[in-house]
Amino acid sequence: MLLQMENITKHYGNVTANQAVNFDLGEGEVHALVGENGAGKTTLMRILYGMEQPSSGSVKVKGKVVSFANPASAMASGIGMVHQHFMLFPSFTVAENIVIGREPTAGGVFDRKQAAALVEKLGQQYGMPVDPWAVVSECPMGMQQRVEILKVLYQGADIIILDEPTGALTPLEVKELLANIKSLALQGKSFIIITHKLHEVMEVADRITVLRDGRLTGTLAATDTDAEQLSRLMVGRELVSLEKQQVELGEAVLEVKGLGIRGPKGKGKALLKDIHLQVRGGEVVGIAGISGNGQSELIQAISGLRPVDDGTVQLAGVDIKGMAVRDIREQGLAHIPEDRYLWGAAKDATVLDNGLMGHHHTLQRKGLVKGKEARAKVSEWIRQFGIKAGSLDNKIQNLSGGNLQKLIAAREFAHDSHFIIAAEPTRGVDIGAMETIHTELIRKRDAGVGVLLVSSELTEILQLSDRIVVMYEGEIAGELSAKDATEEKISLLMSGGNRQA
Amino acid sequence: MSIIKQNLRGLIQPLIAVVIGLIAGAIAILVVGGSVTETYMEMWKGAFGSFYFLTNTLARSTPIILAGLGVALAFRAGFFNMGADGQMVLGGLSAALTALYFPGPGWVVLLASIIAGIITGGLWSFFAGWLDAKFGMNLLITTLLLNYIATLFAGYMVAYPFMDKTGSAAMAQSEMIEQSVWLPKLFQGMGLHAGFIIAIVAAVLLHFFMKKTTMGYEIRMLGSNPLFASYGGVRRGRMMMIAMLVSGGFAGLAGAGEVLGTQYRFLDGSLTSANYAWSGIMATLLANSHPLGTALAAILLSALQTGAMGVERNTDVPLEVASVIQAVLTLFVSARIGYTFWKRRKGKQKNGTTT
Repeated sequence: MLLQMENITKHYGNVTANQAVNFDLGEGEVHALVGENGAGKTTLMRILYGMEQPSSGSVKVKGKVVSFANPASAMASGIGMVHQHFMLFPSFTVAENIVIGREPTAGGVFDRKQAAALVEKLGQQYGMPVDPWAVVSECPMGMQQRVEILKVLYQGADIIILDEPTGALTPLEVKELLANIKSLALQGKSFIIITHKLHEVMEVADRITVLRDGRLTGTLAATDTDAEQLSRLMVGRELVSLEKQQVELGEAVLEVKGLGIRGPKGKGKALLKDIHLQVRGGEVVGIAGISGNGQSELIQAISGLRPVDDGTVQLAGVDIKGMAVRDIREQGLAHIPEDRYLWGAAKDATVLDNGLMGHHHTLQRKGLVKGKEARAKVSEWIRQFGIKAGSLDNKIQNLSGGNLQKLIAAREFAHDSHFIIAAEPTRGVDIGAMETIHTELIRKRDAGVGVLLVSSELTEILQLSDRIVVMYEGEIAGELSAKDATEEKISLLMSGGNRQA
Repeated sequence: MSIIKQNLRGLIQPLIAVVIGLIAGAIAILVVGGSVTETYMEMWKGAFGSFYFLTNTLARSTPIILAGLGVALAFRAGFFNMGADGQMVLGGLSAALTALYFPGPGWVVLLASIIAGIITGGLWSFFAGWLDAKFGMNLLITTLLLNYIATLFAGYMVAYPFMDKTGSAAMAQSEMIEQSVWLPKLFQGMGLHAGFIIAIVAAVLLHFFMKKTTMGYEIRMLGSNPLFASYGGVRRGRMMMIAMLVSGGFAGLAGAGEVLGTQYRFLDGSLTSANYAWSGIMATLLANSHPLGTALAAILLSALQTGAMGVERNTDVPLEVASVIQAVLTLFVSARIGYTFWKRRKGKQKNGTTT
């Protein structure tokens, strides 16, 4: 074995992050590490990468016991890590970012040409071509990911840790990345991949280790398991399978006709062009598309956060174009926003304050917030959705992403509106939270609520939607019914190919 | 329980800053060859040593508290109102003019003067907010520059049209206000006037307003994350106007209080040279815009200033020691702001998925 981690235990005060975890990695192997938020994946990898010291247990590389005081010494032993959030200098070139720390020099001066040549050669050697002179900020996310991996390879890593590598990538880029990983593994590089996305795990990994509550719940060969078994091991119980009821479709709750938003200052490409969209009570309409193809603008236009240039938007039969956000909400809109930190929460405010938003007009008397009722309401959501929030006066920044997302979803579900926008409702949350949110969305649908689901996750779109609308470059590229839709058909429309009405 | 704790935290922060400032001051005292204990004893005496000094300190703190509260409200809403100076001056001027020319019995005129001060300060601040909402002019810059217009205009008013020509002293000041219109002194022979009570009540009211009302809630959320607020239906433009109006109103009240309670006339430069407004801004920063903390920080800052006068009277250590302490306080405050700003940026990078 190339790498062995034996009986790793890590305590933080009286919290145990890892309890007697064993983990190993062979040469040329891709080993996925999966588990819910807080299961101890990151802690284990931080120990391997020298960012934390284990309370007990040992790490062996090539059979020799090692102890890494810091990432530099881990790197010296051939271990490299690509963090979830890229650590690149945006204004530097690809080559500069890759050679940083080990720059080739000529006469004591940084030799850019040599660096570019080295990087070019490195890219070819590993089948990941890059333009060494490109500035990183102008590269797409998939290319930046590639630069990160090349940087680690340039530093001489044989073991590469990838933390949530596909979070920011488009489906196409994900495919490329997984192919790159496989080919690098064939060349003898070993990978540890931390992720939530089980279908990616099944596609690329040789073995899978599952952690739950800091303990090992299993190490399985990919050939012997499937995504369902893995999620059971992660969550520790059977997942409720989503079952939709047959629902009589109701009236149109959302009616968008000829909606258009022109480019900045009336010039440039239109952000939205001639969008026609109807959502009726009792159905989930999924909007698929690679992010940045007008979905955000559409949501903002409907919810009143962005002015509309052309067309009409009707909510429950009332024209809401140009209405204030608050009035639109009162007209019957609930909205799980696409970015929970940007739109959905105030980080330095409390759980209570974050839960109150949008409800503060109803939970008041003569301008005073009804404190007791507000607390009772938010507490009720916390109980109902199993949100780990600490106290109501806890700052929201102390909540994990999944718990915050559940709080936001609960807050919006509580509006009892006839229409709900769910934008990326489960981005970056663990399976348990995803299950809760999906179940509730379907329950709303079954109760006759119209749901507009916007998601860049195809699996989510396919799982929940009754109808699927694909957006490409600000236009609707096609519409599919749930039973006709396949991942391939949607992917094709998403990438602008083969339009259909 | 945790609510008490949170309130306490707002009160503790200024204390920590002051302690660090005092340590730095001690070093400065040692450098000039004074005795640290003796100097600080004198400083304590100068600020709190007798009933007279205590009331003196509280009197000085009155406009600082009020100006600080106004700034705190704007800061909480996410707007940098740097115009407390000018708003205070205009508030003071219009209070003085109202007191001099408004007809009626004393208490009516007093009330009218206070209201005039509040409204004038509020409108001056509102004007800056309107410029931002209407023309996108940066609030920080407009509020700062409007200070000059306000102070120079007020100076002109009392140097020419409303100059006091009755006395022999040729100073840029208005005539003296009639005694029946004065804010009453709280104690015979002491400087402390009823404005202090107004200031403390205002601090408690503002605290209550921010914590308990829906508008206070919207203001807090707007300051915390404007996008979140607009997503939830808070109208930014409207809230900004309101926040600026009230913020300036507090500064105007501070000016009115000084004119009606201490000076009994509008004297050019008397409000600006004492640096009340800037001390108020510092008090707000020290207390992280917590209303009660701002009041406490204002009293501490004022104690530092009155205490330093005591030091200069009774020791060889110069008045500037207080400046050293204040400078360190400012440094500490700006370091803390830098730190939160840095934390926020760092937090932003963590926004995506979590593991």
